[in-house]
Amino acid sequence: MLGLSARSRAGSRLSVKPDEELITEVLGGDTDAFTELAARHRPRVERLCRRFFSDEEMARDIAQESFIRAYTALATYRAEMPFGGWLRAIVVNLCYDELRRRRRRPEELVGDFSAPEVQWMQTTNVASPEDLVGEAEERREAYDLAHRLLDTLKPEDRMVMVLKESEDLSVSEIAETLGWSEAKVKIRAFRARQALRKQAERMLAAGAAGKRS
Amino acid sequence: MWRKTLTAERRGELLAHLKGCEKCDHAFRVFALTAPVLHGEIERYPAREARPARREFSLADRPRRFASAPREVSRASRWIPMAAAAAIFVFATSAAYLSARVPNESIGDALSVPETSMTSENTGDPLAPEMPLTESDLAS
Repeated sequence: MLGLSARSRAGSRLSVKPDEELITEVLGGDTDAFTELAARHRPRVERLCRRFFSDEEMARDIAQESFIRAYTALATYRAEMPFGGWLRAIVVNLCYDELRRRRRRPEELVGDFSAPEVQWMQTTNVASPEDLVGEAEERREAYDLAHRLLDTLKPEDRMVMVLKESEDLSVSEIAETLGWSEAKVKIRAFRARQALRKQAERMLAAGAAGKRS
Repeated sequence: MWRKTLTAERRGELLAHLKGCEKCDHAFRVFALTAPVLHGEIERYPAREARPARREFSLADRPRRFASAPREVSRASRWIPMAAAAAIFVFATSAAYLSARVPNESIGDALSVPETSMTSENTGDPLAPEMPLTESDLAS
């Protein structure tokens, strides 16, 4: 079993060995090497999960499950692609499954805003662009509202938006990660932007009216 | 601009443009609604609950919501290539046997009865001439 015994070793070689070497060690029976691998990639994996889910516990659980699945499927990993990309495909597919499982109707999501959220919508209408950037970083409701807005997208559209905008992946990389055609990725990206703009316009209008929609 | 990677000069230009262009200013505000998640430093937003983040990987630390999911690579996925290989082998063997066998008769040949074996008795043709009587028939 992997665990705490590797803590000291993990600290000493964390930034030394490349991923491929650690993977070879894991496959050779040194399961502690995977602890290092997980520690190295966990921040990036959790960050990606948090772009899909505002619920931190959900994001962490998916990150943890991703590592478990990566560990159990490590023998199928081929060194032709970076481990980070392979791991990302596992994370993304888990997030996609969860998004599809919890899919709700958009009208359930855009409505009943909290007072801070309404306030943030109003701020978005009136603050200067420079202030908006600064304030958005300080206010949790900006983050929550962005999630609510993204929750209105279909799971496929959201996948494309996050991978394209946040992870800066190319169309071909997204297609490879999701197992889709490039044409499908392009269509989804176009539809996602349209849908997101439409919902954002509604939010801005609600903010401008100063009422809860 | 959101990621703060622009130079001060470029940032100033962009802000000046947004001030003078209503359309771009509106587009920026629309963008700002999703930017905290899509473009922001997501770690800046504090977690709602106080539960500490996992720092060590452990197979035993499996999230409850995924407890029913298979822990190992499914056996089915290992059997699929083997089953496919077996099916291909059977198909190839059958195809090889059928192509190697000399076709000695067609379906039409197999269904038709050779003319030499056809008689009025076994075909039951009512117009066929009657067989001559034998001596035993005459005797009776």
